Amino acid sequence: MSAIEETKREISVPAAAQVKPKPTGTATTPSPAERAITLAVCVALVVVVRLVVGEGMSTLDIGVMLALSVAVAGVGVQRLIEFLSSVRFGVSLLVLLVVACMIGMIIMQVNVDGFENYYTELTPAQRLLYGNLGFFDIYHSRYFNFLLLILSLNIVLASIDRFPKAWTFISRRKLDASAHWLRGQEQHAAVETHGASRSEVGERVAAAYRAQGFKPTITEKGTKTFVFAERGAWNRLGAYAVHVALLTIFTGGFLTAQFGRVGQMPLKPGATASDMSEIVFKIDDSTQEFAPTRASFELPFEVACTDIQQKLIKKEGTITADNTLDWLTWIKIRDKTDGTERDALVHLNHPYDYRGYRFFQASFQAHGQAREIKLRLTPEAGGETQDIVIKRDGETSLPDGTRITFAKFFPDFTFKGGSPTSASDDYNNPAAMLSVVRAGGGQPERAFAFANPLPEGLPVGAAKGGYKFQLVDFEKVPAVHILSVQHDPGANIVYLGFLLLALTLCAVFFFSHQRVWAQIEERSGDGGASIFEVVLGGNTNRNKLGFEDRFKRLVKAVGGDAETEVKQS
Amino acid sequence: MSEAINQPSAALHAHDIDLKKSTLASFLPSILAVGGAVLLTLLRLRVGGESFISDGALMMLALAAYLTAAVFTLTNLYAPSTLFQKLGLWAATAGVFFNLASWGVRWIAAYDRELAIIARQGGEMPWVWRYIPFANLYDLSLAFAFGAGITTLLIAHRPSFRFLGAISLPLAALILVLARFIGGEFINLPPVLDSYWRPIHVGIASLSYGIALVCFAVAVIYLLKDGVKTEAMAIWSSVFALAVFATISRFSVFAPSTFGTYSASVFIPTTSSKMALPLRADIPYVGWLLVLSALLLVGVCVAFMRYLARHDETARIWGHRLLKASLVVQAAAIAALVGQIKTIVDVASRIDARQFGDFGSYLAKQQGLTAEQIAQLPAGRLTTASADFVRERGGELFLSLQANPVELAALITAFAGTLFVIIFSFRTERLRETLPPLEKIDSLMYKTAGVAFAGLALLLMTGAIWANESWGRYWGWDSKETGAFVAWLTYAGFLHTRISRGWTGRASAYFAIVAFLLVIFTYLGVSYLLPGLHSYA
Repeated sequence: MSAIEETKREISVPAAAQVKPKPTGTATTPSPAERAITLAVCVALVVVVRLVVGEGMSTLDIGVMLALSVAVAGVGVQRLIEFLSSVRFGVSLLVLLVVACMIGMIIMQVNVDGFENYYTELTPAQRLLYGNLGFFDIYHSRYFNFLLLILSLNIVLASIDRFPKAWTFISRRKLDASAHWLRGQEQHAAVETHGASRSEVGERVAAAYRAQGFKPTITEKGTKTFVFAERGAWNRLGAYAVHVALLTIFTGGFLTAQFGRVGQMPLKPGATASDMSEIVFKIDDSTQEFAPTRASFELPFEVACTDIQQKLIKKEGTITADNTLDWLTWIKIRDKTDGTERDALVHLNHPYDYRGYRFFQASFQAHGQAREIKLRLTPEAGGETQDIVIKRDGETSLPDGTRITFAKFFPDFTFKGGSPTSASDDYNNPAAMLSVVRAGGGQPERAFAFANPLPEGLPVGAAKGGYKFQLVDFEKVPAVHILSVQHDPGANIVYLGFLLLALTLCAVFFFSHQRVWAQIEERSGDGGASIFEVVLGGNTNRNKLGFEDRFKRLVKAVGGDAETEVKQS
Repeated sequence: MSEAINQPSAALHAHDIDLKKSTLASFLPSILAVGGAVLLTLLRLRVGGESFISDGALMMLALAAYLTAAVFTLTNLYAPSTLFQKLGLWAATAGVFFNLASWGVRWIAAYDRELAIIARQGGEMPWVWRYIPFANLYDLSLAFAFGAGITTLLIAHRPSFRFLGAISLPLAALILVLARFIGGEFINLPPVLDSYWRPIHVGIASLSYGIALVCFAVAVIYLLKDGVKTEAMAIWSSVFALAVFATISRFSVFAPSTFGTYSASVFIPTTSSKMALPLRADIPYVGWLLVLSALLLVGVCVAFMRYLARHDETARIWGHRLLKASLVVQAAAIAALVGQIKTIVDVASRIDARQFGDFGSYLAKQQGLTAEQIAQLPAGRLTTASADFVRERGGELFLSLQANPVELAALITAFAGTLFVIIFSFRTERLRETLPPLEKIDSLMYKTAGVAFAGLALLLMTGAIWANESWGRYWGWDSKETGAFVAWLTYAGFLHTRISRGWTGRASAYFAIVAFLLVIFTYLGVSYLLPGLHSYA
């Protein structure tokens, strides 16, 4: 891309870049001996790879590699490298990549929600065809990765191929240029001017250069004076920097794909977990059934959940995602390696990092629970009611010494087989199960507090420990928050690549390498006021329109009008 | 001596200042449009909502201004006149002003709405980014059209490029039409999207899509200037129109079992607003008009292919006649569709019972049944359930232009494509002469494509960072991600064709065109056709 806007003229005019352009098609047809050697080396390589990889390679793989070896031997290594490093091949690869991605977009991928339905609705022929071509997981297929690898190779080879020429723009500045060559530039003009001497005219031209923001260099050569200036020569290297950034991102992506892990960790208040489960999406080759499985992955530390909370938009609404402002999970991380403990909060859009692992809010189990309950206590013996608040699994003592523990919560209270349970996950009949111990000790008694009014005389509503309980209010919360745990050793490298890419793209597209030359030659004259011809010419690798304006101003300042050559292709 | 040196440089400085002044003046339209919109938004904040112009009305004004500007610019191409050029420029300025003002006023309106909700239900005032109008396709379309409008205005600082509005502004207007069909109701944002990355990511998206649109317009003009025959363009626009006719209304127009029927989705009122049902009502005449138009377009393709292959002049003349006839029939189809959607009252009787099976499973899903439970239901159950539903609630069903926004916009785009090919076919040579030299158009195409490429790269990167912060992965091959990536790759292809011998010129222009089509596919296709995380916008 160095030369995305590289003027083709410069290639045709050898003086331009001061190096001969690399002649294309230098590689000749290889001799039979060369072919034989190449083939032998390639086959040896295949054998080595087979020995290293072992059973991971199928007969098909070996066949493909041997066929490739024959192709390489036939074409010749030199010509192959020339082909691999050509821009045309690069563009073809981009087109292939676009096609592969489009297939992946149109055919649903295994990891997308709803794949199971989609898969069952396909005809057996479609399943067989797409499955064998790897279309259900195209982005992880071998040929897709191979495509990315070859593209990277192409970027590297093409950059190596083109970099030396771009570098000469910086290493060898072209200080002079013939009038003939200048007239062949996109921007050129000839001005006749009076002046005392060639050097005086040169100074004047140089001043005009400076006014346009150029730093001129004046060179005398025989009867001619040359004024040269350029801006942003480093821009010639911008494209290579962009490619370095892209390769950095690819490297990070490769590390993520190889060593990264994403798993789920369901957390219930009070529970501890030390592993996460990954879903492996797979289609069974023999039965053609979609069969996702779970794999467990041990973490190097333990995570204990201390509390979970769900901030709702409408307090009286449900605990579904569309009524939620934020999910909060408080965790305690116990690291066995150094015996430390740390508290952390994970909430929406605020992940928590620890030792290369990141914890995110992912989802929750919408089984209604209460984080905190507010009870209204009516003394059995009569008297003032009092309100108390108890946290989940917490307990409180009344002034008279009675201890009340919040043991359990039922969103939709019912009896099943004689024991209390919840008929559904929704808050249809919320009830809290309490354990009450009278002042002075004794057996704990089980009591229930209901939010909905109870018919009189039901045994569950009976007074316990001297009080009747009513559930006045409670804070809704789901039973379990499911955190997503990510371990991604490539992310930082990708971020570095992003930073590089953002900077280099700006550098490439918002700047340009602009060069202007002036050749000053005496036309006629006798001592005092001679006439000089100033031939100006210039080119740029980008922003031709802006350069044209600047060149016109320059020519005007020198004292003439620019003729812009218009080429119709 | 020193005088001699100083003199020209002093003169130069004066000259420079003069040039700077004129540079600033040439950017005046853009500055006025943006500044005016900001002022209007601030005024809305001070004055309050009751008596102030609504964002919807401002959007319609923007639409009208864009179309006016396009008409002036187009006229100016055929009959160059300083007056028309100026009128076109100022109409475009007004369009950009209304467009951005509409977006700004909408932001304040969204803020008022949040305040009202909080007054009713209580709660904490969310931060300013939570209600920035970047929530659904309506908001994004407003911003997209603005991106295209402001890019056109910025490029128009060079008078020789003012012609660009002739294509880019009608396209921007089409996007606003699409927004009108989508409807500007506020939606509740899923909490996971409430992040400061949203304005950054979506803002970059709308601007770079806008630049991509302008790049597309430049590429089309490049091809025109380069001598691509309007007949060849007509074939492409006809193929596009045929593809639109074939896919809309769930492929019903050309499908043998439903040949010649067009049906529109029905709405049912809900407590707060309305809901689209996966049930479609037949709209008479429209299907047959589309079939007729399609036949004419096939005729156009055949005639022009014959002309291009054998230089058959008669075929060319007939092709143009058929193209014009098709334009009239397309207009009739759109008119019939829009007119009847607004007038048809008895919706229930127009619902084809063949949809009842699918609709039944939708109803069952709404009632909370899982896919397996639905599969186990007896065969006739779903159909009867649908029939019962239509019988009981048929009276409430109604039609609306908002039911199938993309289909309607696609129909209008097909119409506009045909219209533009007809316009370009008129005195093509003269048009080619008026356009700036090919090399300048090429420079502009390269510049816009380069910026679109950089913009899409930023879009992908900000998206990746946001995804990593919210979902824990920076890249997941989600359809919208992949779509933007594919468009970006195509721009990369464009940039590289320019240094690849033999692929410069026209071939690169085709890359620029395909890249924009991919941007549109990402923008609409992914949201409406493909499943994924971005399905809300």
